[in-house]
Amino acid sequence: MGSMAIRTDSLTKRYGGVTALDGLDLEVERGEVVGYLGPNGAGKTTTIRLLLGLIQPTEGRAEIFGVDCHRQPVEVHRHLSYVSGESNLWPSLTGAETLYLLGRLHGEVDENYQQELIDRFDLDPSKKVRAYSRGNRQKIVLIGALMARPELLLLDEPTSGLDPLMERAFRLCIREARDRGQTIFLSSHIMSEVEALCDRVGIVRDGKLIEMGTLTQMRHLSALAVEATFDGVIPNLSNVPGVTVTEADGQVVRCQVQGSVEPLLRVLATAGVTRLVSREPSLEEMFLAHYGAGDPSGELDHVAH
Amino acid sequence: MSRTNLAHRLQHPTHFTYSSRTVVFALTARKMLRSGVLWGCIFGISVYSSAISYTSIYKTQAERAALAAAYGLNEATSALFGPAPGLQTVAGFTAFKVSMTLMIIGALWGLLSITRLLRGEEDSGRWELLLSGQTTRKVATAQVLGGLAVGVIALWALTAVITILTGLDSKVDIGATSALYFALAMVATAVMFVAVGALTSQLGGTRRQAASYAAIFLGLCYAVRMIADAGVGVHGLIWLSPLGWVEELRPLTDPNPLALLPIIGFTVVVASVAVSLAGRRDVADSTLPHRVKANGRFFLLSSSIGLAFRMVRPAVVGWWVAMAVSGLLYGLVAKSAGSTISGSSISNVLSKLGARGAGAEAVLGVCFLVMAMLVTFIGAGQLSAARGEEADGRLDNVLVSPKSRTSWLGERLTVAVSVLMVGAFEAGIFAWLGTASQNAGVGFAKLLESGVNLIPPTLVILGVGVLTFGIRPRMTSIVTYALLGWSLLVVIVGDIGAMSHWILDTSVFHQMALAPSVSPNWEANGVMVGVGIACAICGGVAFKLRDLQHE
Repeated sequence: MGSMAIRTDSLTKRYGGVTALDGLDLEVERGEVVGYLGPNGAGKTTTIRLLLGLIQPTEGRAEIFGVDCHRQPVEVHRHLSYVSGESNLWPSLTGAETLYLLGRLHGEVDENYQQELIDRFDLDPSKKVRAYSRGNRQKIVLIGALMARPELLLLDEPTSGLDPLMERAFRLCIREARDRGQTIFLSSHIMSEVEALCDRVGIVRDGKLIEMGTLTQMRHLSALAVEATFDGVIPNLSNVPGVTVTEADGQVVRCQVQGSVEPLLRVLATAGVTRLVSREPSLEEMFLAHYGAGDPSGELDHVAH
Repeated sequence: MSRTNLAHRLQHPTHFTYSSRTVVFALTARKMLRSGVLWGCIFGISVYSSAISYTSIYKTQAERAALAAAYGLNEATSALFGPAPGLQTVAGFTAFKVSMTLMIIGALWGLLSITRLLRGEEDSGRWELLLSGQTTRKVATAQVLGGLAVGVIALWALTAVITILTGLDSKVDIGATSALYFALAMVATAVMFVAVGALTSQLGGTRRQAASYAAIFLGLCYAVRMIADAGVGVHGLIWLSPLGWVEELRPLTDPNPLALLPIIGFTVVVASVAVSLAGRRDVADSTLPHRVKANGRFFLLSSSIGLAFRMVRPAVVGWWVAMAVSGLLYGLVAKSAGSTISGSSISNVLSKLGARGAGAEAVLGVCFLVMAMLVTFIGAGQLSAARGEEADGRLDNVLVSPKSRTSWLGERLTVAVSVLMVGAFEAGIFAWLGTASQNAGVGFAKLLESGVNLIPPTLVILGVGVLTFGIRPRMTSIVTYALLGWSLLVVIVGDIGAMSHWILDTSVFHQMALAPSVSPNWEANGVMVGVGIACAICGGVAFKLRDLQHE
């Protein structure tokens, strides 16, 4: 079995003239927790469905634990569980019946852990699926995936519909899974979730992976957010190399600094600065920075650059 | 679609203009107009076929009088298909031949359409989206009924137009007024069961429940009408059944417009109650109490094939009961009907359909043709259910486990074939029980063989359906039911005797020998089974290679 949990090589999916995924090269090590970010239609779900063998690649290939996802999907599925953001279950079954079925389909269930998960997620398994709220249906899918303790968890918007308490329970489960050595591939829109859980993050845009690395690496490459408060005349910062002013509010100026901060500090030293705050960008800011160029309104450009 | 094209289409709508207050009506009307036109054509063609076949088979007044004498007072056929008071005329024969079939089809069309549009939309969550607009539950329900009325009007108009055109033939001679009244009678059950379906959509908790309640009511109506028409001195019961009211309209023979009163009254009352209940109950809830919780019952849930059996169980049980009842009824009336037609010109009609011989066996040959259609419906329904699993995304849950697509499809086909085989065997066994109770003299082995003979045509339709499922999954139900409908239409129209054998050969029912009136054609059956299996294998390979497709 291969050392990589996930490996894709020029993985491409086209629907007619539309390219949903464009030459994806991705590697996920065993035991890693990888976040996968992108706006709607960027190709996140397409990537996961290709990894699951539910759709066929137009070009390229994908492997899970060294097994070809397209040619040997059954062998691939022995090692993973999948959570979809759309919990499509059988409405006439109860929660308990659904979990029993999912367990039998997968073949391996830790029944004690299943009960523990039911308690943690505060699920009443005696209800029929049609009577559950969306969040409760999502809990069933999550429990169904986690209870098998698979080597790889493929999670596509797994916390859709969950309340904050349940999101916290989910994060705890994922951390435990990571500690057990399970690999987790998490597609999500919730930046705080990805920031809290993931070792590495990939950002996909228009079907292409445009950024992949640890949060530290990505922060290093991203702009520094600086907020300066002046007590006198505000200097013109827009001409300072590497500086983009994002907002001026009275005596307060907010800007982004790309590269060295030295030119900015030289200008600020000659002005009357009463307060200076700088911080690393959040994942959300980094994400928006990557997508700002695609925002037709220019709103995101304003924030990011 | 490019942004420019989309913007252009939004600015220049080509169909209905969606006012915010009538959007539900417009959406429903658009859907139902197409359906009404399609079924109106089928209704009209059935009328045309019957009228023309009568004029070509019964050319002389003597032949027509003989037919009326043989069939007109037969209580068995009266119980099954309704009374036949005017068989000596084209109009009377046409009314007798198509009325009961079209009444039942109309009722099913009505109840299935309305339960899909009301409860089905609610099940999917789309209903809430519509209700978030400038409407209320009550108004939206009324608008769906109004939109469905557009479909009913299309159904009525097409049936009427084709009947009028058919009546222009001097040999047929059905006047425009009679044709309009006849078409009205033919859509009357559709109208009533739209109202019934609207009511059951408020009572049941799911679309399946709503449709089942309405179908059970339809079955009861048919049973009451049957007893009333069976000549056992209780004809007054006819006024207890909505199907009886339509029968009492007596189109093309002895029109009785007064019978419209209970039809209108029933429709208005039931539809009003439905709209009222829609306004009172919560969305996604039901009026009748339903179980939100249940003790876990894990039988059949240990495998995907078990799951498939469990999911289709309610519908399958319904079909099996229908097959058993049909077989028993046909068996009970076969001897009586057969003795009446022996030596009469009606046997010409049966022989045109492919039934040979005389007596009970000739009648049963045609009855088994009807049951072949039912068995085919079972097969088509199983395939639609399989596609539904994929369309709704539930199949993903199965296929992300260590289960191959080939294995899953094989299991679904095993379920489908098992279900339809049980239905086919039931047809033979229960028909034998009926004939045995009447001492009709048709052996068990012969009727069991006739039941087995129903399977090959279904396998062809199932195979073509699987092929479509593999290549164009979204077309699965359309192609499967279209082939079924086409085969049915060719058999109906084919009895006029003027159809090319190339066209006749495209009907799977035409390929089936009408056992027990003749021996099953095992060679043709073998070819049909082979075609079905070949199509299924090709479909299976295509399914393995394609993407899963949600709706």
